[in-house]
Amino acid sequence: MSKVLKRASLPTASKKSIGRRFKNNYIGWLFILIAAAGISLFYFYPMIRALLLSFQSGMGSNLEYVGLDNYIRLFSDPTFIAALSNTFIYLLVQVPVMIILALFFSVLLNDATLKFKGFFRTAIFLPCVTSLVAYAVIFKYLFGVDGLINQFLLDLSIISEPLNWLSDPVLAKITIIVAITWRWTGYNMIFYLSALQNVDRSMYEAAKIDGASSFQQFFYITVPMLKPIILFTSIISTIGTLQLFDEVMNITNGGPGNATLSISMYIYNLSFEYSPDFGYAATVSYVIVILIVLLSLIQFKVAGDDK
Amino acid sequence: MKYFQYRKTWLLMLTVVTFLVLAACSSDDANSNADGGEEPDKITAWAWDPHFNIAALEIAKEAYSEDINLEIIENAQDDIVQKLNTGLSSGSMKGMPNIVLIEDQRAQSFLQSYPDAFYPIGEYFNTDDFANYKLAPTSLDGKQYGLPFDTGVTGLFFRTDYLQEAGYTMEDLTNITWQEYIEIGKDVKAKTGKDMISLDPNDLGLIRVMIQSAGSWYVEEDGETVNLVDNEPLRKAFENYKAMIEADFVKANSDWSQFIAAFNSGDVATVPSGNWIAPSIEAEESQAGKWAVAPIPRLNMDGAVNASNQGGSSFYVLDIPGKEKAAEFLADTFGSNSDFYQDLVLDVGALGTYSPAADGEAYQAENDYFSGQTVISDFSAWTEEIPSVNYGLHTYAIEDILAAEMQNYLKGKDLDKVLADAQAQAESQLK
Repeated sequence: MSKVLKRASLPTASKKSIGRRFKNNYIGWLFILIAAAGISLFYFYPMIRALLLSFQSGMGSNLEYVGLDNYIRLFSDPTFIAALSNTFIYLLVQVPVMIILALFFSVLLNDATLKFKGFFRTAIFLPCVTSLVAYAVIFKYLFGVDGLINQFLLDLSIISEPLNWLSDPVLAKITIIVAITWRWTGYNMIFYLSALQNVDRSMYEAAKIDGASSFQQFFYITVPMLKPIILFTSIISTIGTLQLFDEVMNITNGGPGNATLSISMYIYNLSFEYSPDFGYAATVSYVIVILIVLLSLIQFKVAGDDK
Repeated sequence: MKYFQYRKTWLLMLTVVTFLVLAACSSDDANSNADGGEEPDKITAWAWDPHFNIAALEIAKEAYSEDINLEIIENAQDDIVQKLNTGLSSGSMKGMPNIVLIEDQRAQSFLQSYPDAFYPIGEYFNTDDFANYKLAPTSLDGKQYGLPFDTGVTGLFFRTDYLQEAGYTMEDLTNITWQEYIEIGKDVKAKTGKDMISLDPNDLGLIRVMIQSAGSWYVEEDGETVNLVDNEPLRKAFENYKAMIEADFVKANSDWSQFIAAFNSGDVATVPSGNWIAPSIEAEESQAGKWAVAPIPRLNMDGAVNASNQGGSSFYVLDIPGKEKAAEFLADTFGSNSDFYQDLVLDVGALGTYSPAADGEAYQAENDYFSGQTVISDFSAWTEEIPSVNYGLHTYAIEDILAAEMQNYLKGKDLDKVLADAQAQAESQLK
């Protein structure tokens, strides 16, 4: 069905008529020109400058070209490797958890018999409206030694003494993952929810008549129908996680040690915390670009979008 | 065909117009930069602490013998660092302040990264009037760029009531080593149930305090060579740090406000810190009379003294229009006015490093909050003893490496290996 939809949305024009259109639509191209000039000026030009910058090194404004030195330096830089592996841990744990939770919520909320749907939807979507910094600061206090989470766990006698959420390497990572999941699950859920509204109810009815259980309905109807959206959200989430900054900066400041350091935060440190080396910082930022391209390609391949 | 040509011309014209507009925009920028030679009527200054350095600037504005239109802008210290870095590296001095406060441990990084951005102010005041250890971090290649502000001299602030309950007096805390401090801490925890100290596991400030008391730093005298693996004071500082964590009297904090809350709420018994923490301690009026200051503990080794430095900052003038005005203002107040320093001490508790001011009345005054202790004169006496070290360029880069290795050390990694690994990492990172 999704294939049918896609084909319908493609322009039906043949090659010949595309050529004619090109000639006929100078005015149309004019409109594009302005946008294209804007994009070139504000996107491509900085990207090229950043690429050039990534081949330079030096303190502050004393930059000079060093060839591939910065890229070689990456491989022997333990802080970078720590940041990279932390980011991958976030990615591998957080994205699947969030996607599954978002699917779960959206299926629950799509139930025709559910009351107060609007309220629940808003409640789950609400975290996305909050400012990144504001919620990160609140999480920091929630998970502090004297924080609400510890109080809660102590009162329920789940733990006997307060946990050092933010100063234990593993717990700090968990805190970050919990925070991002809280913030972004609702956002992804909205995508699924809107996709679910387009799924024909008659398919579920037919499946029910054929004796399919709810689980079977979910795995054989809902998931395949949502596949393009799941792909889209997982790419968006992957990109988002690779760029993770605000939460780490505000909740743990990369610590303890560099147990929660993300790549973006390392870029920040290289530029502003240490003696500024914008060249190397640009190199690290290009690593994110390369990773995003690679991961997106893999996701397309795995999701089997064969066209 | 003609029809198309007409269209093409149209396209061409639009393109030309677009480029003209863009070109006009950029030349506009260039013009305003070139025009910047005229004197501004307003001098701006950036600082970060409204109770401390901003308050000091306010007093300086009052004390200035001439009229000045000084606008003081409060920015968090991190924001100042960030804004300076982005502004100065862009090459445009637009939006930069005339006067900026920079922490001493960061100063060299700025001076060397942006060699033309700062205005040498050595001719405006007499550098001999200032504590010697402040001059090295604030100058470069023989030129004085910074006007030294506060000392950052450290002291061991402690709750007299808690310590008394555990059976300790001022004398028991005077000129002790960190080992003795840890023993006292265990005792205090056992007898009063209060934690001894509040630490942020991400911030190795206390390690820096410890090693400077023995005249050592993360780098050698030249400010470049990484000095971790054979650094005896650093090794001892790590051991002390671990002993503290293991003694179970550390209340963890994860940011500044939690750190302040830890002692304002009465949860911890001591605060080993730079003297600039005094106003924050005094802010909790209900604890008046319950605090005292002892000299900072020292490392248990030859050459270590009971005096060290934490933080401390200096004023810099940026090389932009208004620089002479700004430099004259600083020189007339922070650079030479002894009376002004008395006000500074009385009103904000800010202790400068201007030596002639130490003879003034205010420096000898007794502080009621600290049960009549002559806090200021104690601090200025300790200031004289602070060993001078070259902070170099890479304090914070090395510290992040050390903070990571500290975690490994706390988890049980061998100390030799910890320091060797940190050394190797730092060397590879700081080429």
